[in-house]
Amino acid sequence: MVGEEYRRWEGDMEALYVYTAGVAGDRFFREIRDNERLMGTYCPECDVTYLPPRLYCETCFSELNEWEEIPNKGRVDAITVAYVDDKGERLARPKVLAMVRFLGANGGLIHVVDLPEEDVYRGMEVEVVYLPRGLRKGSFLDILHFKAI
Amino acid sequence: MRKVAVIGAGMTLFRRRLLETGKEMCFQAVQMALEEAGLELKDVDAVVSGSAPDAFDGVHMKGEYLLDGAGGVRKPYMRVFTGGGTACFSPIAGWWHVASGLADVVLVVNEEKMSSITPHPQYAFANIWDPILDRPLKPNLVWIFAMEMNRYMTVYGIEKADIARVAVKNKRNAVDHPAAQLADPNITVDDVLNSEVMAWPVQRLDISPPSDGASALVLASEDVARQVSETPVWISGVGWCIDSTMWTNRDLSFPEYLARAAQQAYGMAKIENPRKEVDVVEPYDPFDYKELHHLEGLLLADKGEAPILTREGVTQRDGELPTCPSGGLMGVGNPIAATMGIKTGEIYWQLAGKAGRRQVPGSPQVGVCQAWGDLMQFSSVMVMRA
Repeated sequence: MVGEEYRRWEGDMEALYVYTAGVAGDRFFREIRDNERLMGTYCPECDVTYLPPRLYCETCFSELNEWEEIPNKGRVDAITVAYVDDKGERLARPKVLAMVRFLGANGGLIHVVDLPEEDVYRGMEVEVVYLPRGLRKGSFLDILHFKAI
Repeated sequence: MRKVAVIGAGMTLFRRRLLETGKEMCFQAVQMALEEAGLELKDVDAVVSGSAPDAFDGVHMKGEYLLDGAGGVRKPYMRVFTGGGTACFSPIAGWWHVASGLADVVLVVNEEKMSSITPHPQYAFANIWDPILDRPLKPNLVWIFAMEMNRYMTVYGIEKADIARVAVKNKRNAVDHPAAQLADPNITVDDVLNSEVMAWPVQRLDISPPSDGASALVLASEDVARQVSETPVWISGVGWCIDSTMWTNRDLSFPEYLARAAQQAYGMAKIENPRKEVDVVEPYDPFDYKELHHLEGLLLADKGEAPILTREGVTQRDGELPTCPSGGLMGVGNPIAATMGIKTGEIYWQLAGKAGRRQVPGSPQVGVCQAWGDLMQFSSVMVMRA
């Protein structure tokens, strides 16, 4: 038998979600919204600064209470160019995405780069561009994109 | 098999919504458990994560998501899942890691963040049903419990007031639990009987609340336990069993699958007469009648006898068989898998003499904890000794 002959029902698994920012995330996003700066948490035990910040060190499990400002200058570590969106639909304009690491921070950020594909390369220096104050809501999308320095 | 001890436990507050992410809740529970055990994360050989459906937190592959908060980075790590039964099943998974000789120290970390799903966790429960036979009726989870409770009452001639006494006992016990969400020192049987009817005979105060929370245990081999702990509590028997997924093929008045799981655990623990030998018990109590159902399934009461024992005060904290001295899910809260903290965790604290204001009198030596879940036809049981 093929599809048309099967007796079948339609249904969905409907649910809406509300995610809390968490203890570390709450401060991270407030700093972006209010002060336009990236903050990480520092583990003195392991001499590691986490970006995005975490409440705890994943290696020694100390609770992290020391916050450090991360200078807004990063380097592109990995790149992709997306031609389809999250539903698999063709994008009108390809989207360049980069994983960017920041000096002195463990981790990094993945976001869109505001440049044509051919102008983005591994190792290039970029900085974070924020939405204008007033439009920022304290979410990851308060970061508009990376731009070349 | 090697001997395995619990040497530390920890848990977060249980609340309707916590600011902490699931990872952060795990971290807090682990930090407490490690501190009590006198160990650090570097001493841990392997980590077991326990959590119920991903649909509550709204993160698919939740075990992987929780990894760094559970302390599992760069270690052997696995998630186990038996729905609500995870509360006592992930400790069993932790136990086999140590009993087999694979690990000397294992962390067991259970988590649930039920506030993520809106408007209510019922939206996730709505999709656990058979899509062909059950879902066309648009069932609410409470319906099936209502049928089970009604069947239990009918078969044994039980009054609702005798079931409501469980809610009253547990919510009052929870007053002494620092993590409790729904403690009530003044609640009465009439309050329960007068609360909103959800699906007869289940009323609002017969049900535990949805919660955010996490809990953790540190399990150790005998060598390690004797070195670092003055009060190790030994896991002397484990059992689990699952019945048919078809509601219509189960006996709703008696949880036969639990009796089998209990017999497996008692056999391993060399318990011949559980009613005489068990000093304290933490049966799973997401509904008040389930505590009674489970006392009977655990063979700690005859069929239909648990309500009578409750009425006579036998199950009070100072009674002959203290039952849910923690305050249980009814009083402390129900972050599904994380109720490990008030089941296995509570029995550990009781047998170690560390239960504080909740401590049952007479230095209990043998305790039993139990959880229940999957499609309401699974049970996990653990027998522990001081």
